[in-house]
Amino acid sequence: MRYDTVIMGGGLSGLMCGIALCKAGQRVAIVTSGQSSLHFNGGSLELLGYVDGQPVTHPLESINQLPAGHPYQKLGAERIAALAHEAALVLADAGLHTTGNANENHCRISPMGVMLPAWLTLEGYVALPMGKDCPWRRVLMVNVEGYLDFPVDFVVSGLRKQGLDVVVADVVTDELEQRRHTPSEMRATQLAKVLSTRVATEHLADAINVAAVDVDAILLPAIIGLTDDSLERLRQLVKLPLHLVATLPPSVAGTRMQAQLRHYFQMLGGTYLLGDTVTCASFNGDAVASVETEKLGDMPLRATHFVLATGSFMSKGLAANFERVYEPVMNLDVDADGSRSEWTRYDVLEPQPYMTYGVATTADFHVVKGGKPVPNVFAIGSVLSGHDAVKNHDGTGVSALTGLAVAHNILGK
Amino acid sequence: MAEEMQLTNTSANNFEQCLKCSICTVYCPVSAVNTAYPGPKQAGPDGERYRLKDPDFYQETLKLCLNCKRCEVACPSGVRIGDIIQQARMNHFTHRPKLRDVMLANTDFVGSMVTLVAPITNFTLGLKPVKVVMDAALAIDKHRTFPAYSGTKFERWYKKHAAAEQDTFAKHVSYFHGCYVNYNFPKLGQDLVKLMNAVGYGVRLLEKEKCCGVALMSNGLYKQARRQGETNMASMRLAIERGEEVLTTSSTCTFTMRDEYAHLLGIANDDVRAHLTLATRFLYRLIDEGSVQLAFRPDYKRRLAYHTACHMQRMGWAIYSIELLRMIPGLELDVLESQCCGIAGTYGFKKENYATSQAIGESLFQSIADANVEAVVTDCETCKWQIEMSTGVPVENPISVLADALDVEKTKKLNGL
Repeated sequence: MRYDTVIMGGGLSGLMCGIALCKAGQRVAIVTSGQSSLHFNGGSLELLGYVDGQPVTHPLESINQLPAGHPYQKLGAERIAALAHEAALVLADAGLHTTGNANENHCRISPMGVMLPAWLTLEGYVALPMGKDCPWRRVLMVNVEGYLDFPVDFVVSGLRKQGLDVVVADVVTDELEQRRHTPSEMRATQLAKVLSTRVATEHLADAINVAAVDVDAILLPAIIGLTDDSLERLRQLVKLPLHLVATLPPSVAGTRMQAQLRHYFQMLGGTYLLGDTVTCASFNGDAVASVETEKLGDMPLRATHFVLATGSFMSKGLAANFERVYEPVMNLDVDADGSRSEWTRYDVLEPQPYMTYGVATTADFHVVKGGKPVPNVFAIGSVLSGHDAVKNHDGTGVSALTGLAVAHNILGK
Repeated sequence: MAEEMQLTNTSANNFEQCLKCSICTVYCPVSAVNTAYPGPKQAGPDGERYRLKDPDFYQETLKLCLNCKRCEVACPSGVRIGDIIQQARMNHFTHRPKLRDVMLANTDFVGSMVTLVAPITNFTLGLKPVKVVMDAALAIDKHRTFPAYSGTKFERWYKKHAAAEQDTFAKHVSYFHGCYVNYNFPKLGQDLVKLMNAVGYGVRLLEKEKCCGVALMSNGLYKQARRQGETNMASMRLAIERGEEVLTTSSTCTFTMRDEYAHLLGIANDDVRAHLTLATRFLYRLIDEGSVQLAFRPDYKRRLAYHTACHMQRMGWAIYSIELLRMIPGLELDVLESQCCGIAGTYGFKKENYATSQAIGESLFQSIADANVEAVVTDCETCKWQIEMSTGVPVENPISVLADALDVEKTKKLNGL
């Protein structure tokens, strides 16, 4: 099987890259081991949220404070601004409409009630101005009875810290109550499936309208709007502005983003091999000629270019044993400390060195093997070394932007 | 050494690889529509932790799992969630299967008997009173349409009309036709013979073929499934020794024999697995490496939709069927969103599962209606029954579509015949 480009990994970076390549007319295949970490996303992308522990208001201005090996330093502020603009357009083309821009961060609310800097937030989700007055004085926080993936007390206390007056109301509808039958399946995405019918949405709207007295806005855990327009319908049916607050994963927002981007990629002609894993690569000189997968077996995928978008340790893009940190598909050069004792710090809240580990790349994201760049293989997203997504809040930004940047590199733009 | 320790420290079905991310729960078609089912995470790895300590934690609700394996496709950590659930059923469900389940499971025995009296059976099974009685006495849902039984078994047709000619070919493949082709729909087998003959391959049948056993496994008849599996593997070994690949036209039979034999029944099939493949994959390979060419009828013009069956998705092979269909110039193909149709073999025939089965398939049926196509193409026969019954749109196997679109004479010429 022959493609122009084969991308290993079907999460945010792989899909962004694949979409840009397909749009330019390339024949692209994405191979992905199951679903991606986008499913943990609360509905916002972050470009750069923190530097040295301080929240960032203007991400483009703070990029020069990042360490030299950071992927953003390879792109530079000007290119980042252009790529960030392009990323928002790609999301919109995929049906994911967002608010926010790269010049100025806004705030999202985490499921634990913490205000966090964000770059783009899906329409319908809470996006508050950063460092400015909140548009509401008094809000209703809807609590779904029996739903445990939304720690409502934390969220309320976070909102109160912002000076908001918060009223909490427990909401019950027949449909939601039926879902409680199996507590282990009382999850955001399951509730969203239950709420997808017209009747169920109306019942929820009725229950909310009863509770929404003397408030400026309604906040609802993100349990609606998985694949359909039920969120829009609900927002029309309730009598006040309604916004979603991220829940614990797997999230409705993340599942929706994954599905919409994948669908858009396939609509553009891309081949998406879900549930398959690249096992090894065959080299022809310094370049990779083909990769084999678990499922396709001895029928390798050949391509002109290959992109490694396999993610970090959790997604198995990186692996470690007792001796070393390594890249499991091609055994590429990695940037990591040699001695195991240096990988972690005792205090779990300290920046952890392993978080910045990843494959070594050249200035234009070519991967390196045995000290030599591999001419037709690029790396993008979380598998890249030099950034700590937990400390810098830059994970989704690095994924989206490097994905697009490498697509441009491949296309020779 | 370090690597070896980590590699070998793995439990059955990658149980310990579960990170508790819960992504599988998003993609379970059963728990989405049936609140009685605890979901793949709870039924699978989470419940397994308890069952390992005390078998009393086994829940009867695990039988609601339809074994679609979509949880395994979604799992980013390679946990064989579906296998964990099936294994738990095998280990802990000790009741004797009901008469109905034994009947539904024994596709080849029942098929053999019924073929003798096919017209009567087809007529009788279609009668409303019979359906009502089956519903009441056997708990086989009255809404179901049984696949019609053919009067002539594929094997019989083959011996009478095809066998002699097959020896005239220089190259050969073996064909595991499965129960559906043999008893219900010999045309698919005939289409395969037509297609393979046109590209220069003679088709042989296996020495001894038994039902793959998928229905036996889902109905609790594991010993019988294992016996039949061993027979199939032995027959396939003979074919492989002759230098023949073993081809199939059913995604579920293929998945069962390649993966579930080893994972669930403990049948050693390593030596057979690499030679046992869907005909579409075999054909794609030949075309891809340039050793055969297909020519299609210039007057062929159809609009079809491809449905990815669950076990096809799990095998990762839909790409071969889709790419082959895309080679037909006159075919406009709409690839449907990959999702479960709800039937899962004998699952949907059971009265207690009928509502769940139809609720699962609803969005697929809607997308088929929206696609406005002449027919749906899929590699699974039970999806065919479900889609035809629920949408009224006819369903065909990709091999039949290819055979229908093929310009036989021109193809033969292209391949030097």
